[in-house]
Amino acid sequence: MPDAPYWPFLVYATLVLTVAGGILVLSSLLGPRHQERVTGEPYESGVPPTATARLRLSVKFFLIAILFVIFDLELVFLFAWAIAIHELGWPGFWGMVVFVFILAAALVYEWRMGSLDWTERSAQARLRERREAFAKRQQENAAP
Amino acid sequence: MTAADFQALLPFMCVAAAAVIVMLVISFYRNQTLSAILTLAGLLVALASLPIAWSHAPRAIPPLLRVDSFALVHLALLLVGTVAVTVFSQRYLEKYRMERGEFYILLLLSALGALILAAADHFVAFFLGLELLSVSLYVMVGYIFVKEKALEAAVKYLFLAGLTSALLLFGLALIYAALGSMEFSALAAAVAGAPDGLSPFLVAGMLLVFAGAAFKLSVVPFHLWTPDIYQGAPAPVTAFLATVSKGCVVAVLLRFFAPLDPASQTGLFSALAAVAGASMIVGNLLALLQDNLKRILAYSSIAHFGYILVAFLAGGENGPAAATFYLVTYFAATLIAFGVIGYLSPTDQEADTVADYRGLFWRRPGSAALLSIAIFSLLGLPLTAGFMGKFFLVAAGAAAGLWPLLIILTVSATLGIFYYLRIIIAMYSGEGRKSEGRTADAPFAPTSATVLVLLAVLLIVIGIAPEPLLAFIQAATTLAP
Amino acid sequence: MTIGIEHILAVSGLLFVIGFFGVLLRRNTLVVFMSLELMLNAAMLALVGFSFFNATMEGNVFVLFIIAVAAAEVAVGLAIIVALFRRRHTVQLEELVSLKG
Repeated sequence: MPDAPYWPFLVYATLVLTVAGGILVLSSLLGPRHQERVTGEPYESGVPPTATARLRLSVKFFLIAILFVIFDLELVFLFAWAIAIHELGWPGFWGMVVFVFILAAALVYEWRMGSLDWTERSAQARLRERREAFAKRQQENAAP
Repeated sequence: MTAADFQALLPFMCVAAAAVIVMLVISFYRNQTLSAILTLAGLLVALASLPIAWSHAPRAIPPLLRVDSFALVHLALLLVGTVAVTVFSQRYLEKYRMERGEFYILLLLSALGALILAAADHFVAFFLGLELLSVSLYVMVGYIFVKEKALEAAVKYLFLAGLTSALLLFGLALIYAALGSMEFSALAAAVAGAPDGLSPFLVAGMLLVFAGAAFKLSVVPFHLWTPDIYQGAPAPVTAFLATVSKGCVVAVLLRFFAPLDPASQTGLFSALAAVAGASMIVGNLLALLQDNLKRILAYSSIAHFGYILVAFLAGGENGPAAATFYLVTYFAATLIAFGVIGYLSPTDQEADTVADYRGLFWRRPGSAALLSIAIFSLLGLPLTAGFMGKFFLVAAGAAAGLWPLLIILTVSATLGIFYYLRIIIAMYSGEGRKSEGRTADAPFAPTSATVLVLLAVLLIVIGIAPEPLLAFIQAATTLAP
Repeated sequence: MTIGIEHILAVSGLLFVIGFFGVLLRRNTLVVFMSLELMLNAAMLALVGFSFFNATMEGNVFVLFIIAVAAAEVAVGLAIIVALFRRRHTVQLEELVSLKG
C-alpha cells in the first residue's frame, strides 16, 4: 500500500474541533446570562408543559424494524451472490433458490402471525364496516 | 457438489427441512401434538439417514464440514438426545397455554447447530454452528415467559454466552492472523511443524477459543452461569443444555485440539489441566452445599465435564474414544434425570428441592426407580454405565500418565457419594405414612415412559457389557489428520 | 506512515477490551447489549485487517457471516429484553436478581 499523506486528517480534525468548540465558547460568552427557575424547563411557546414527553410506542414498530434488519441481511447475501453469479453457475442459482425459499417461508409465517398488520384485526373489521355503509348510502342517494 | 456430497449431508438437510416444514405448518394450523410429531419425524428420518451418510464417510464437504465416522458417532448421539428432549417437552409444554409450536422450531435449529459443530472442519462452520445453537437456546431458556425466573435466566445466559462467543471469535481471528487459513487441518499442520515455540498469536488465539468453548462446557472458571440457568429454564431445555449443547462442543474441541501433543505444549497443557482439576474439585464440593435438585445436577455436571477434560488431555488413541463413551453414559443418565424432574413438576413451579422428592418411591415407584438408575450411573456405581465410563477415562489417563489429575478424579468422584446418596435416601424414606413431598400426579405418557425406560435399560446394558459399544466407538473415533 | 498488522491489532484489541469491560461493568441491560455488539464488531475489524495482511479473502467472507449472525442475535436479544421490561418495568441489571447464584 503506498504511503498516503497523513497531515490532511490532522488539519481536518483541528478544523472540526475549532468550529465546534468556537461555537460553544462564543455562545456562552455572548449569550444571555439568566439563571432562573424557568430557564431549565423545555420551551413550548411560553405554555407550561402538561405531561412528560415520553410516549409509549406500540410494539409493532419494533417488529417492523427487526424484520427489516433480517431481510436486509438476506439482501446482503443476494448482492454477494449476484456479483459471483457467472462463476457459480446453475448450482449456485439453486443454492440461492433454497436460501430465498427458507426466508420466504419465514415471511409466510410472519404474515400469518399478523406481524405485518399495521392495524389490528378488530380495527380492520370496523373500517371495512364503515366503508361498506358509506358505499351503500352513496348508492341510495344516487338511485332516486 | 456431487450426489455423494448430498448423501453425506442428509442428516443436516433433514433437520433443516423439518424446521422449515414445522414453521410453515404452524402458520396455518396450530396443534402442539402435530408440531411435536413433525419434529420427531424429522429427527428420526435424520437418524435413519445416518447409515447412508456412513457409506460415504469420510467425506469432506470442502472447506466447511468433514463428515467422517467421528462426526457420525456424535451426530447419532446428538440426534438421540434431541429426540428424548422433544418427547419430554411435548408433555411439559401441554401444561402451558401459550404459542408452543415455535419451541419445536427452535429445538430443531439448535440441534442443527449442534450437528454442524460435530462435523465442523473450518472456523466459519465452528462459529456458525455455535451461534445457531446458542441463539435458539437464548429463546428456549426464556420460553415460558410467564415465569419470571425464566426471563432472568434467559437474559443472563444471553449476556454470558454472547460474551464468550465474542471471545471465541477474537481467538479465531488471532489464529487466522497466525496461520493465514481457517481450516482445522492448517492448524494441525502448523502445530505439528513447530513443536516448540508456537507463535504468540496462535497460543493466545487457542486460549481464547478454549475459553469460549469452556463456557459452553461449564467448567471452572466459566461455570457461574450453570446453576442459575439450570434452575430458571424449563426442565426439557435444561436437559438439552446439559447434554446436546455440551456434547457437540466436546466433539468440536476434540477435533480442534487433536493435533496438540499434550507433552510438548506445556503452557497450554498446564492451563487445560488446571481447568480440569479445578472443575472436578469445585463441581463436587459446591454440589455438597446445595438443596435444589437441579442445582445439584448443575454442579455435578461441572464435575463431569472436568472428568471428560481429563480424557481430552490424555489424547492419543484412547482419549477421544474414552471421552465419547463417557458422553454416551452422561447423556443417558442426565436425560433420564431431567426428564423425570420435568415430568414431576406441577404447573405453578418446578419440583426442585430434595424435600419435594421425599418418599417418591412410595408414591410413584417407577419414577423413583428411573431416577435412582440415573443417579447411580452419574455416581459411577458398578453395574451401571457411569462406572464403565469412569473406568475407561481412568484407563486413558493412566496410559497418558496424567497421575495428579487421576488422583483428583478419584477423590472428587467419591465426594459425589454424599450428595447423590442424599437424593436416593430422600426418595426411599417416609415409609408407610403419607409422605410430604410435592410432585405432580399425572402418570407418564406412553412415549415418555418408553424413552425413559429405554435409556435406563441402555445404562444397565452398557454397565454390564460395555465391549461392543466401546469397540465401535474406538474404531470410529480415530481422528485421521 | 505504513499501517502494519500491529495497528490493526491495537485498534481492534482496544475496542474489544472496551466492549468487554462494558459488558462486565455496566448496569443498564441495553448498554451491556451494545457493548456485546461492540466486541463482535472489534473481532470483525480484526478479521478484515488480518485478511488484508494474509492476502486471502477468507477473513472478509467470515465477516459477512458474522454480520448476519450478529443481526440475528440482536433480534433475539432485544426481544428477550423487551419481554423482561414488560414484566419488571426496569432495565437495570441489579434489580434482576431473583436467581441467587
